[in-house]
Amino acid sequence: MNRIERIINFAFPRPSPRRSGCGHASGLRLTIAACALAPFLAGLAVLSATGAPAAPTSDVAVKPAIDPRANELLKRMGDYLGQAQSFSVNAEVWQDVALSSGQRVQAGRTIVLQVRRPDRFHAEVRSTRGNHGLFYDGKSITLLNRVQNFYGSIPAPGSLDEALDMACDRFGITMPLEDLIVSDPYRNVMQKAVSGYDVGPVTVLGVPCEHLAFSLGAVDWQIWIEDGAKPVPRKIVFTYKDEDGSPEFTAILSNWDFETKLPDFLFTFEPPAGASKITVAQIKAQNDAHAKEGK
Amino acid sequence: MNVPHSTSWKAIGVGLVAFLVALPLAYAQRSEPSRGAEPSRGSEPQRMSEPQRAPVQQRPAVVDRFNHGTVRHVDTHVVQQPVGGRPAYHTPPHVIVGHDVDADVHRHWPWHDFAFGRRWGVLPIGCISVFVNGAPYYYGDGIYYQPSDGSYQEVYPPVGADIPQPPDGAIEIDAGGLTYYYAGGAFYVQQDNGFVVASTPIGVTVPDLPPGAIQVSVNGNLAYQFNGVYYQPMFVDGVTQYQTFLP
Repeated sequence: MNRIERIINFAFPRPSPRRSGCGHASGLRLTIAACALAPFLAGLAVLSATGAPAAPTSDVAVKPAIDPRANELLKRMGDYLGQAQSFSVNAEVWQDVALSSGQRVQAGRTIVLQVRRPDRFHAEVRSTRGNHGLFYDGKSITLLNRVQNFYGSIPAPGSLDEALDMACDRFGITMPLEDLIVSDPYRNVMQKAVSGYDVGPVTVLGVPCEHLAFSLGAVDWQIWIEDGAKPVPRKIVFTYKDEDGSPEFTAILSNWDFETKLPDFLFTFEPPAGASKITVAQIKAQNDAHAKEGK
Repeated sequence: MNVPHSTSWKAIGVGLVAFLVALPLAYAQRSEPSRGAEPSRGSEPQRMSEPQRAPVQQRPAVVDRFNHGTVRHVDTHVVQQPVGGRPAYHTPPHVIVGHDVDADVHRHWPWHDFAFGRRWGVLPIGCISVFVNGAPYYYGDGIYYQPSDGSYQEVYPPVGADIPQPPDGAIEIDAGGLTYYYAGGAFYVQQDNGFVVASTPIGVTVPDLPPGAIQVSVNGNLAYQFNGVYYQPMFVDGVTQYQTFLP
């Protein structure tokens, strides 16, 4: 008796010893058994192909990758920002910069951000040496170097999301705090989050907040969301685990304002007196220049 | 058992056919929602009802990014670093590494004070002598001097000058397959046990103008000139940088 026959004999016992000598009847029995088992085997194949979990072998519950509480709080914040027709906020940004000696220093800058949905954006970025303005009026993005009085413009399609993507993909320009500007801040984060949980309550500059921690894979992302009726972010931290020394980027957010009207002129660029227009380099053009230089 | 093996294989064959017929039916049943299932709510992701851990991409040990502080473009313009990295002893201290040009880290270095043609009665302490094509120079803190009429005159960095270390505050620039260390308007490349002033590469972008660069107009456009090379201002990755060119 081969192995297959043993299995079938176990599942489908012979009806009577008298018929056991009939090879035809025995073959028919095997055929029926095989047909009966086929759907079961197919089901097993589907389960294994789709990666469905096997029945739990212990009483340890499988936790979801995104903690429901963290998801709920992030969704609340995202909806609040996404539904706001306009807002302004200030940010203080601290960013790790590595020196080849191994020493780490922090670069700081402040950002004043004004957003009016669906297609207006203005930011002023100030640091020790720099003073930049970024304007988006629904038609073009303009960068202004206020220290050296240079400006440059690029045409941009008429929505914030599209403009942000085009600016980054084609010109390497990442708008300050762009994750707060997008039309759906919740989805923007959750599309890339692989895990997340609620760390717990904590205060940021005296404001009671809930601290959430997410992982985007090689990058960890934390956010502190204000408690109460105005669930705005008060602090955001990125940790780049795949970079040398795991540098961090920290933004402290303050002066959220959803009430003040933001008129058109805030977003419309007017060249200052004596300003020079300069090129905004495309990513590809920049690479080409380097390639030519190497020949 | 008197069942011939051929009969067994026939039975298996029939079973296999039944299995193949049942397989798509089982898939179809799985993909159809049950009648009592609640429809999805709007555009909210289904992550919470059926959490699925997205596969974490395998990445090299060290990468670099043009810009930090974004989830939306977290993986955009990621620069792969050489495997194993550059040996630390090859890199001079105080070189800023990384590509996030929006980070403002500034420290005043002596070569920031370079002024072409300025004369000094005595050399600064710590200067070393350097010969380039037989001509004597002195070098200290990123500035080159030539003896002239009993004094020492600040001059442009002479191509070919060989010094032990690039000046403090040099910035690492990769271009054309070479690593340059840029400071005081000079582009240094590593050679043997030292660093040599190279000809200014054309088409490369630098974050700062050489000290003392003169504003000029080239074909009606604003530019800067330093030691015979022109620098065109442009926005690169959202911040002002300068690309070298020859008119």
